[in-house]
Amino acid sequence: MGQAVSAIEVTNLRRVFKTNIGVLRRRAKEVVAVDDISFEVEPGELFGLLGPNGAGKTTTVKMLTTLLLPTSGMARVLGHDVARQAEAIRHRIGFIFGGERGLYWRLSAVDNLRYFASLYQMDPQVTNRRIPELLEMVGLADRGKERVEGYSRGMMQRLHVARTLLHDPELLFLDEPTIGLDPVGARELRQTIRNLQAAGRTILLTTHYMFEADALCQRIAVINHGRIVAMDTPEVLKREVRDLSIVELEVFGIPPAVVDRLRALPYVDTVSIENLDQRQSLRVQTPRGAEAVPDLMGMLEGLRVGRVVVREPTLEDAYVRLVGGEA
Amino acid sequence: MNLQAVRMSARVVAAAAEVTLRQNVVDAFVLFTILLQPLVIAVLAMWMLGGRGSENAIFVVIGSGMTGLWSSLLFMGGNSINWERWTGTLELLVGQPSHMSLIVFGKNLAVVLQSLGSMLASYALAAAFFQAPLHIAQPLLFGVSLVLMVISFVCFGLVIAPIFLMNPQVHHWQNAMEFPVYMLSGFLFPIALLPGWTTPLSYLLTPYWAARALHGTSGGTASSSETLLCWGMMILLAVVYAFVSRWLMDVMLRKARADATLRME
Repeated sequence: MGQAVSAIEVTNLRRVFKTNIGVLRRRAKEVVAVDDISFEVEPGELFGLLGPNGAGKTTTVKMLTTLLLPTSGMARVLGHDVARQAEAIRHRIGFIFGGERGLYWRLSAVDNLRYFASLYQMDPQVTNRRIPELLEMVGLADRGKERVEGYSRGMMQRLHVARTLLHDPELLFLDEPTIGLDPVGARELRQTIRNLQAAGRTILLTTHYMFEADALCQRIAVINHGRIVAMDTPEVLKREVRDLSIVELEVFGIPPAVVDRLRALPYVDTVSIENLDQRQSLRVQTPRGAEAVPDLMGMLEGLRVGRVVVREPTLEDAYVRLVGGEA
Repeated sequence: MNLQAVRMSARVVAAAAEVTLRQNVVDAFVLFTILLQPLVIAVLAMWMLGGRGSENAIFVVIGSGMTGLWSSLLFMGGNSINWERWTGTLELLVGQPSHMSLIVFGKNLAVVLQSLGSMLASYALAAAFFQAPLHIAQPLLFGVSLVLMVISFVCFGLVIAPIFLMNPQVHHWQNAMEFPVYMLSGFLFPIALLPGWTTPLSYLLTPYWAARALHGTSGGTASSSETLLCWGMMILLAVVYAFVSRWLMDVMLRKARADATLRME
């Protein structure tokens, strides 16, 4: 009996971008986007690649979809090497890179799909049946003949989903598919992704939304600065922070030096900061819970402090901890 | 290659051509390269050659039409790859299973067919404003030459496309590539007027053989053997271009994947 092949097999994968900086004295600069990562995705699995912007998620997906060559290491998709056997992979996968690009705006949705169906060398009869089905599935049946240039971002994203499913691929790469969608559109798309997985497709999903990864993925690899810092089921990742409490403080105009001083406190695990108009939301992870509040308030003396909340950690807090407060 | 594969490939070419045509018909730059630029060249040439007899009119019509054809192929063919790069569709084209050469073939076919409008525009201009006699001496041979010209120009464009695929900066060189081909191909004056060392370069360019065949059959100055030679060279060069471009496309695609130039932000 043959050994089952992983849908995706990545071993010590690395990608370095070379660029030139300077005008008169040009110097070569190297940026390591993906740094020695390894993971496997089993057939039928919905696997999440989670990390902040610039962590290396898209670069990883581009290597796996044969659009970018790895600098070193090995990646196999459906048993084929991404660098040397791209042709064997391309007709079996589908991919979405989030956003409004990647569509022919002057053509209608139907014409976009018809074009890609031709490129995927689909039988015209199958194409004629499949396009209305997919437009119905993504909720564009009544707008299919309109030019894409008149579509909202959400409609374009749904058209991307239809395009990706056109040739019925067994493996899907969804790179931040819900980015920029309104909450209802994002929820509908997440349901579509669940349905696709239930129908037996293998899916690699990248996102920087922790709740999305938690809601959809069976396993998650957290990636930061090109390296995988944790990989497990959402439940196990949550245990990373079960001994911590989260103190949320609303502050106004906190200087970076004060944030650095908070980070240096011995009982503080991580500090993340989110800018909200003129105020900031500080999230301090600490094992001392409510007991830490007086000390933290002391550190913020002289600053205007609004709401203070102490709460139990969530999976998002586990993620923040893993990426060192960069989320 | 079986019949099914040929049919599928033809479908890919036709789809790429159709999408290119649909996109181009609403592009002002396309109208400039197809209509306006050849007309300006035709007007200048008519005035310059006006004193040498009206028999030059058809020569000017064909020559200026071919300038429009070459400019369209160079700019629209090349720019379309860069345009796909900027709009994020180039990655989708590279990431699907059909060979990129088929898509580029379809794109070039659309551009060349559209650009035949250059010739029609020049023809209409000469007839309407210069009252020039526009008689085609050997219409059947001219028609065959025209069909072969379309195929050979499409294949010539195939050789250029991989260079644009590899590097988005190549478009800076487009202007420098435009006029040498006008001159080396004898679109508007015979290559005998150029230094002798340029002649072998002309022989390697299918536009030269196309211009020679079209000028010869329209003016009735070409013998049968000369017309056959031009046709043979167009076919031979088309085949050579097709093979070279296939290899070049694979090399450049690999380089684009290595250099991460398939998408621009």
